[in-house]
Amino acid sequence: MSGDVSWDVVVVGAGAGGAAAAYGLCRRGLSVLLLDAGPRFDASTDYPLTQADWDARGFPEKPDSTGTVTFAAGQKLNGNEPLLASGSRGLGPMVTNGTRLMEKYHHVRGIGGSTLHFTGEAHRIHPDAMKMKSRFGVAADWPLDYAEMERHYLEAEELIGVAGPESQGARWRSRGFPLPPHPLSYAAKTLGAGAKALGLGWQANSRAALSLPWNGRPACNYCGACNNGCPVGDKGSADVTFIAAAVATGRCTIRPQSPVIRIERGSDDRVAAVLVGRRDGSIERIASPHLVLACGAVETPRLLLASDGLGNESGEVGQNFMDTLFITVGALHPEPQHGRRGLPSDAISWDFNAPDAIPGVIGGCRFYNAAGESELGGLADFALRAVPGWGREHAQAVRRLWGHALHVGAIGEMLPNRDSRIDLDPTARDRFGMPIARIASSLAEADVARLRFMARKSHELLAASGAEKIYESYSSWDWFSATHVFGTCRMGNDPNNSVVDGFGRSHRWRNLWVADASVFPSSGGGEAPALTIQALALRTAERIVKG
Amino acid sequence: MNRRNLVLLLGALSVGGAAVLWRTLASLWRPGSAERTARTMAAVADVMFPGVDGLPAASTLGLHKDLIASPDLQALITKGVAWLDKHAALHGAADFVALDEAGRLAAIDAAFASKDDGTQPFVFALRQQLGTAYYSEPAIKSKFAYTGPPQPDGFPDFQERPT
Repeated sequence: MSGDVSWDVVVVGAGAGGAAAAYGLCRRGLSVLLLDAGPRFDASTDYPLTQADWDARGFPEKPDSTGTVTFAAGQKLNGNEPLLASGSRGLGPMVTNGTRLMEKYHHVRGIGGSTLHFTGEAHRIHPDAMKMKSRFGVAADWPLDYAEMERHYLEAEELIGVAGPESQGARWRSRGFPLPPHPLSYAAKTLGAGAKALGLGWQANSRAALSLPWNGRPACNYCGACNNGCPVGDKGSADVTFIAAAVATGRCTIRPQSPVIRIERGSDDRVAAVLVGRRDGSIERIASPHLVLACGAVETPRLLLASDGLGNESGEVGQNFMDTLFITVGALHPEPQHGRRGLPSDAISWDFNAPDAIPGVIGGCRFYNAAGESELGGLADFALRAVPGWGREHAQAVRRLWGHALHVGAIGEMLPNRDSRIDLDPTARDRFGMPIARIASSLAEADVARLRFMARKSHELLAASGAEKIYESYSSWDWFSATHVFGTCRMGNDPNNSVVDGFGRSHRWRNLWVADASVFPSSGGGEAPALTIQALALRTAERIVKG
Repeated sequence: MNRRNLVLLLGALSVGGAAVLWRTLASLWRPGSAERTARTMAAVADVMFPGVDGLPAASTLGLHKDLIASPDLQALITKGVAWLDKHAALHGAADFVALDEAGRLAAIDAAFASKDDGTQPFVFALRQQLGTAYYSEPAIKSKFAYTGPPQPDGFPDFQERPT
């Protein structure tokens, strides 16, 4: 089919954005080729949560399911930050050389992308967090507002079957969540008592996990292992929601293990085709009447830059990189909690989520029950992290304390800065000879101040819940371990300082669209981005169809 | 056989105590390097991860053998075992294995605190690898609540105080 036009739209990347874009296009009658560099995952065989060694496995790696990036030198850590330094009583400090550890960009390649691995929080962005420049003088404004997003949020929530509470404060809704909220786990209720004592809000998190059967998918059985991959099918990962719905239209063709290595320019400010690498090392040319890039905020700018700077007329491709500003704190409660029972991140406090909610620093955050995400699903992890030493005392303490852990997590806004970016590694190449992405990340003082607040409040919440013996804390102050990344193909109205317009279309290339978190002008105050990515992608799809 | 061992052997023979004789002969037997490493590592494993409350100790589960077989750990183990034996000798024992439990524990603590090349990483690596293996063993996990596979049943009691 080399050179032939066989699809109306080629979508690159089958994660949250690509899947939603494909669905939005297919349901309106367009044909879509959905490409992904990674493989298909089979929920029945790839997520062996019935096996005795489930806790030693984590999310599976399959051929081509992990990409390769390099990192620029880590930021020199400024001063002593005892509340922010990563480490545990059992393992000691994570960083001892005074330099931020650039460890990992957590990204799954495959049909479903990182949603296969995600926790499944389904958040709308705070309306004020879309107006950071005009309201607060930082970052950039989104070229659309919450009201324009609302019906797309509804569509995404309906397809996924999001379960959520009646109200989420500033994130107004024209219609309730499709499904009732999940009941809180025992550990979440323990933390809820602490939140109440502090006067903090604490409510059921909105989750892409079914509280009741929905569209042929069963309800969640609260196994707590969302991040290992969901074998049940209740988690709203993109493969069982948007992709399944797109395929059901009969107009979506899926091609796993098909990395796009380059975009070919055409005439009249249009892109002509993508060059796709085959397993045997050969290259296939696929014409693209419309091209939607949805590879995430690292790989989308890499692909554009590696295509001779396509779409980079503003010089902003790869700039404004924002990563996950986070902290998790673990403590021991006098009473057993066994917090991995139930949905991870089942409860949340939005009290400090508005951009002006944290005293003295712009940019919000949220707090949540982090037991499920803290990798303490297994006994071995607990024994080595929570209890220092070895020998009989250690063994007896493990016996006594197993199940007593409580975790609070906080995720906050990271503001863009010129030292944080994605560019092309000057020497490293992939197997097709293309340069791979290099990640540079640097936290500004405002980000560190926000982290300090997040840490203090996490400690307060744990203490108020009765868990005073802190045994570990991990934060992005000294540890780059990003899941949510944003901003590297910023959307905006001005072609001089943004890459795409408010619909995700390149300011210059009329059939080139971006539908992932790289278009976010600001990161939001700690909201999980998948739902917003999907809502934006649905909006982009609608625009493509309308022409 | 050095003078001290000879005196011990003669003494044992003179009293005719079979147990004493056996212990003395055993102390004189010098195993080959691989066997010596295996004995030391078994002892280290059991000091670090002993069986309490009726649980089996690490060497009973054969976990030290996996460490010895790991190519990545060879250099650390060689260095670490030599350090522990040397430490034991400085404290009047023939080697690490000849120490009692308190002495072995003190030796491992001292290795972890030592600035000598490779000793702290040796203890750290053993803690990580042995500890992970030990607390991942079905025989151990089964003695702790809520350690079974999360599927197919999930946790129906997730809202309740754990049992």
